[in-house]
Amino acid sequence: MKVLVPVKRVADYNVKVRPKSDGSGVELANVKMSMNPFDEIAVEEAVRLKEAGVASEVIAVSCGIAACQETLRTALAMGADRAILVETDAELQSLAVAKLLKVVADKEGAQLVICGKQAIDDDANQTAQMLAALLDWGQATYASKLSVADGTIEVTREVDGGLETLALALPAVVSADLRLNEPRYATLPNIMKAKKKPLDTLKAAELGVDVAPRVATLSVYTPPERKGGIKVGSVAELVHKLKDDTRVL
Amino acid sequence: MNLTSEQKMLVETVRRFVENEMLPLEDEIEETGRLAPEKARALFEKASANGMYAMNIPEEFGGGGLSAVDTMLVEEQFGHAKDILIRRAFGNVYEVLLKCNEAQRERWLLPTVRGERTCSIAITEPNAGSDAAAIKTRAVPDGKGGWKITGGKHFISDGEFSDFFVVSVVTDASAGAKGISLFLVDKGTPGFIIGRDQKMMGLTGTSHVELAFDEVPVGPENLLGGEGQGFKLILETLGRVRLAQVCARAVGKSVRLLNLMVSYAQERKQFGKPIGDFQMIQQMIADSVVEINASRLLVLDAASDIDNGIDARDKIAMAKFYVSEVLGRVADRAVQVYGGMGYCADLPIERMYRDARIYRIFDGTSEIHRTVVARSAMKHGEALYGTL
Repeated sequence: MKVLVPVKRVADYNVKVRPKSDGSGVELANVKMSMNPFDEIAVEEAVRLKEAGVASEVIAVSCGIAACQETLRTALAMGADRAILVETDAELQSLAVAKLLKVVADKEGAQLVICGKQAIDDDANQTAQMLAALLDWGQATYASKLSVADGTIEVTREVDGGLETLALALPAVVSADLRLNEPRYATLPNIMKAKKKPLDTLKAAELGVDVAPRVATLSVYTPPERKGGIKVGSVAELVHKLKDDTRVL
Repeated sequence: MNLTSEQKMLVETVRRFVENEMLPLEDEIEETGRLAPEKARALFEKASANGMYAMNIPEEFGGGGLSAVDTMLVEEQFGHAKDILIRRAFGNVYEVLLKCNEAQRERWLLPTVRGERTCSIAITEPNAGSDAAAIKTRAVPDGKGGWKITGGKHFISDGEFSDFFVVSVVTDASAGAKGISLFLVDKGTPGFIIGRDQKMMGLTGTSHVELAFDEVPVGPENLLGGEGQGFKLILETLGRVRLAQVCARAVGKSVRLLNLMVSYAQERKQFGKPIGDFQMIQQMIADSVVEINASRLLVLDAASDIDNGIDARDKIAMAKFYVSEVLGRVADRAVQVYGGMGYCADLPIERMYRDARIYRIFDGTSEIHRTVVARSAMKHGEALYGTL
């Protein structure tokens, strides 16, 4: 069973991001970039399936600029067998990424796609679901446990009311939640070997996919700073504050 | 300087390991004065499983096989953490052990690379610090092909924990530096006494002990390198150790301090604005940034010479005093920017300030290394500074 793991290059989780001065997006110049943490969890899960003899091959895939190769190398150092970069300079929204991933999944004959549940940059939480729809495969999102047996997978997912367990026929798309596993550190030998593992590049423009953005960003700005609370002396004052000052009532 | 993707990944991975697995243990070490043995063990096992133990030692002996440049890159990341944590997680496996002959490897080198044994270097004596050739500990032939060692050492780092010691000893008192030899001496050898832990200003958790030798019997199997080769071996191998364990780690400590300074300068408000808006604070930040970058370049340039087989001793001397003095200045500025909170032991700055002080002293004082550099400049002129 081939497992495909999409990985996204995002601003490192330690970075305090700031909007660009013209409000057109987030300032990413000179910002440290890393693999989306949820994708790390996805890579870890796939590598564990490989180590358990369930997966035959783990393929990491990233869509975006050439620098995404670094993210793919990290996935290779964690234990992925090979990597594919779908290269484009275009702005990619969730739907475009899902379409590109569908092409790769079909081409590779993947049986299972494990995604991070969302990326920490836009928090869209859409790609896995869109990909499952485009492929017409079953989907199990927010996985906190995953087991594979005889062409089916069992996924425990974190839902608002508690835990839900689903059984799906393969092929399927799974999105990884925080508690699925604790990703490993890349080992020194694997870091050194990562460069020798195959990393193929596909040009997004040659895959016959319309990646044009469907959603326009009007403006990106910092949320207003939270002000401290106040104490009111009486019910009358409270009502006055709610009614006249904050206009909540 | 641009790093390769492997180098970036290596740095990133070690950084995460240090931040997630090591820094959270620091408060307890500072409070109790020790790293609990079971925590030390767990740390070692985790680092070792990831191939992070003894990364500086060639692969043929079971190490990570990093080049000198790569070693410095990871050592800088080690430097964010306290000395004792570095020792237990990544191992201070000294390159001088590579001089073990085949018979000695199994007993001393290989188990040390595997983390089964730990080694301390024992050169310093009360009357022989920077002047390492002035040691008085001596070995007298026993008439049966071996020797008996008599004398004493002090400030021997990690001596309580270590299983064996590389000890510098006079074997020929008439030959000066050429009469010094190195012996591998196991803990437990008759007459070899591990003395008291000498409490230090900083470096909490690492023991620094006195060693006493009372006619300690050693044989030819204990002699590292040839007789009379000791001082040469020290000069050959300890330069790289100095660059890694002192210089590169000092850069990491400066980086950690500056990170704290920069964030505090933006958070701390006085007179209605962040103190980072004040130019005197900005000067402290700007000077630290530039000095840290200069420090790292000195370290990596010296390491690059080592990798290319070029004698790096002068450059290591330059790095040694410059980088350690930068650490001192950055630590001082960090205390100043934090004000009372910098002096308060609730934050790591206070202990890092104390830890920083030794960097200008151990492994050759600033004064000794300045002397080396000045003499070399007068001897070699522009070759020392005219070009890269």
